[in-house]
Amino acid sequence: MVLYNFKKIVVVPPAKDLIDIVLSKTQRKTPTVVHKGYAISRIRQFYTRKIKFAQQTLHDKLSQIIQDFPKLDDVHPFYTDLINVLYDKDHFKLALGQLNKARNLIDNVAKEYVRLMKYGDSLYRCKLLKKAALGRMVTITKRQGANLTYLEQVRQHLARLPSIDPYTRTIIICGFPNVGKSSFMNKITRADVDVQPYAGTTKSLFVGHTDYKYLPWQIIDTPGILDHPLEERNVIEMQSVTALAHLRAAILYFFDISEECGHALEEQMRLFESIKPLFQNKPLVVVCNKSDIVNLNNLSKEKRSVLKELENDENIPVMEMSTANNQGVMEVKEEACERLLSYRVDQKVKTKKIDSLLSRLHVAQPVPRDHKLRPPCIPEAVLQRKQSGERPVRAKKLERQIEEEEGDDYVLDLKKKYDIEGDQKYDVIPEIWEGHNIADYIDPEIFDKLTELEQEEELRVAAGMYDMKLPPMTESLKEIRELAMQIREKKFLLKDEALINKQCTKPVIPRTAPAKSRGRSVSRLKNEMEDLGVDMEDTENAHFTKTKKRGRSESRNTENKRQRVDVSRARSNSRAPRDEMGVANDEMKFRLKNIAHKAISKKVGPKGLKGEADRFIGNKMPKHLFSGKRGVGKTNRR
Amino acid sequence: MAVRVQFENNNEVGVFAKLTNAYCLVAIGGSENFYSAFEAELDEAIPVIHTSLAGCRIIGRMCVANKNGLLVPDTTTDSELQHIRNSLPDSVKVRRVEERLSALGNVISCNDYVALVHPDLDPQTEEIIADTLQVEVFKQTIASNVLVGSYSVLSNQGGLVHPKTSIQDQDELSSLLQIPLVAGTVNRGSEVIGGGMVVNDWISFCGMDTTSTEISVIENIFKLQDQASGQVTSMRASLIESMS
Repeated sequence: MVLYNFKKIVVVPPAKDLIDIVLSKTQRKTPTVVHKGYAISRIRQFYTRKIKFAQQTLHDKLSQIIQDFPKLDDVHPFYTDLINVLYDKDHFKLALGQLNKARNLIDNVAKEYVRLMKYGDSLYRCKLLKKAALGRMVTITKRQGANLTYLEQVRQHLARLPSIDPYTRTIIICGFPNVGKSSFMNKITRADVDVQPYAGTTKSLFVGHTDYKYLPWQIIDTPGILDHPLEERNVIEMQSVTALAHLRAAILYFFDISEECGHALEEQMRLFESIKPLFQNKPLVVVCNKSDIVNLNNLSKEKRSVLKELENDENIPVMEMSTANNQGVMEVKEEACERLLSYRVDQKVKTKKIDSLLSRLHVAQPVPRDHKLRPPCIPEAVLQRKQSGERPVRAKKLERQIEEEEGDDYVLDLKKKYDIEGDQKYDVIPEIWEGHNIADYIDPEIFDKLTELEQEEELRVAAGMYDMKLPPMTESLKEIRELAMQIREKKFLLKDEALINKQCTKPVIPRTAPAKSRGRSVSRLKNEMEDLGVDMEDTENAHFTKTKKRGRSESRNTENKRQRVDVSRARSNSRAPRDEMGVANDEMKFRLKNIAHKAISKKVGPKGLKGEADRFIGNKMPKHLFSGKRGVGKTNRR
Repeated sequence: MAVRVQFENNNEVGVFAKLTNAYCLVAIGGSENFYSAFEAELDEAIPVIHTSLAGCRIIGRMCVANKNGLLVPDTTTDSELQHIRNSLPDSVKVRRVEERLSALGNVISCNDYVALVHPDLDPQTEEIIADTLQVEVFKQTIASNVLVGSYSVLSNQGGLVHPKTSIQDQDELSSLLQIPLVAGTVNRGSEVIGGGMVVNDWISFCGMDTTSTEISVIENIFKLQDQASGQVTSMRASLIESMS
């Protein structure tokens, strides 16, 4: 959760690049082909579009820049001041303000030239207007060159600023240069700040994080500051002052009591006094560093008296520490964290928000309601392990290790851990068997029941229940059995034969086919019967010789063959057909037919049709009627 | 000891696992990372078993369990039940419950001696709970939430309840359950405690998002540390600081 993320500001291109970007985009994203033969409105529209597009692109680019940079009035005062110190607030605001003005100017230029485009009466003039419009926009942009380069530099610097959260638990380390601030920072965080033996190694703010009491803490290492008036402080020192002034944090003020940093203890004390107003309402810890060289006790008297005043103040703890041999480092950190924590908690307790949290700070202890014991149930193995405090070496592989070893071939074996001995655990038991749910038939007492049944059965066998005596075989019974056997055999044979016959694949002649084609004839019958030894003499008049003859025969009744007289059987003769209605006789009928024929041919003949029923249309869509442009006039008038 | 784990990038570990003093059920996931986290910590002491219930992996919310027994919803298939039966020691009674509120884990919260249940739970189910799990059953709500299983986690040594439970309610519940209780969160402020963690008498597993303050509250109230250290009261400052 970063409140201020200056890393996401997009790159600010220099003026030249910006112009190139906009012009090439205009060229690429708008139509490029125009002819002087086009209608003038079309030509005007073509160039208007180009002007508007260029203006819009420039407008967007500039707006993006203006929006991305932090608004000095909106960000935390710490950042406002930091930006002021680092980049000069006036310059920053001016640059953004001028960009804003340039944006407005570009909008106005575009508007003006779009209006002028109305008076362009040829392609050439329109083109010149466009050229002038783009030219003016480019010139305005070019004038912002200095601002754009400045903003780009600011952006690059902002992106590299440490992300300091001004609201979280913060500890600020401050003091003279070379007193061991960064060494302390490196001891308690993993920030890895550059530490060198000379003064002024740290030139900007550095942020590190550490944990104390389950909470993350933000530690800020500041550049060393010298003791001179605020007006004379340089940019590097001002960053420290800004952090001290605006962040509500615990402050660690570092003294170098060995004076190895090159500044006397009195000098350090004066600085402390001069920046003391910045420590007001903040937890403060004074740290005497480099105690491995000189500690407080063997400090000379006059030096000690300098610190006397501080040591007498009860609100300010004075702690000894040595980053060289780690003495007192953790104590200093804990003291600072503890002071800040209690300070912040005190403040929070005063607000109303705390009421909702009180319930969470309460541990409800039970009131005994009976004398039942409710001890925890921890297995012996776990208890032993807890007491010995060591973890046993695992004998078995973890499932994940097996999975990693086997890779794609791994299949989870659910049955591996079954509480069943032997190989029975891998027995396959289907859920549904022959339409029945196995679980419905599971009987836990099945083995008891089985042994019970077996015992019963044994008793029965012992009692001789199954010792059956077969009656002796008689003669007639034997005969019957043999016969039955023969019958059965015959039946089998017949069945097999029928099966084989059925398997015949020859085409079958249907019974509806003529007798001849089925090979049925009187002579064949006779021959076959004679071959079989049947006497076929005197069978000329036998019934089977009376077959139908094919050809014509005298014996057949000729009357049957005569053409039927056409007599309508369906209806009575009371009503004559239409062509005979009112016709007296055959002669008249013939005449009428001739007249009708002539009349029809007269009607049909010129069209080349076959008769009255011939409705042939040669060409359904005559070309001349269905093609070509329609002029002014009616649709059907062509 | 409290361990941070994740089920396939999901921090709601109480949904995918059920931990008791006698056994542990773990959902079947795409990989064995989650299972192995439990296996590594528990396998020497109690069986850790893969299972699904009604084909779902949200087993922690579907079933209710303690060291004496395991209750599963009636949607559990026979083969799943068979698998569980085969895997668990014989001392654990496994039973299917026909209950309208079938996500039993959400409506029942229990340790080895007492259980809190949803006020609308069937009287028959209540009886089954008392018989199978061998617990005293109390119909209760937690911070006026009826889903007692979702908003509380109990062990034999302590309990964690919904963060908005009033002090009075906490005292009342604590006397009922006969364990110390505290209101808290898991997974960086999640109120759904039952979904966010599982615990037994010596170990706890919570989601990867759980902050160190939450972990320390959990370790304190469930008495999971190897040596007894500071109580919740001594962490007052860091609690206030982290919560507001």
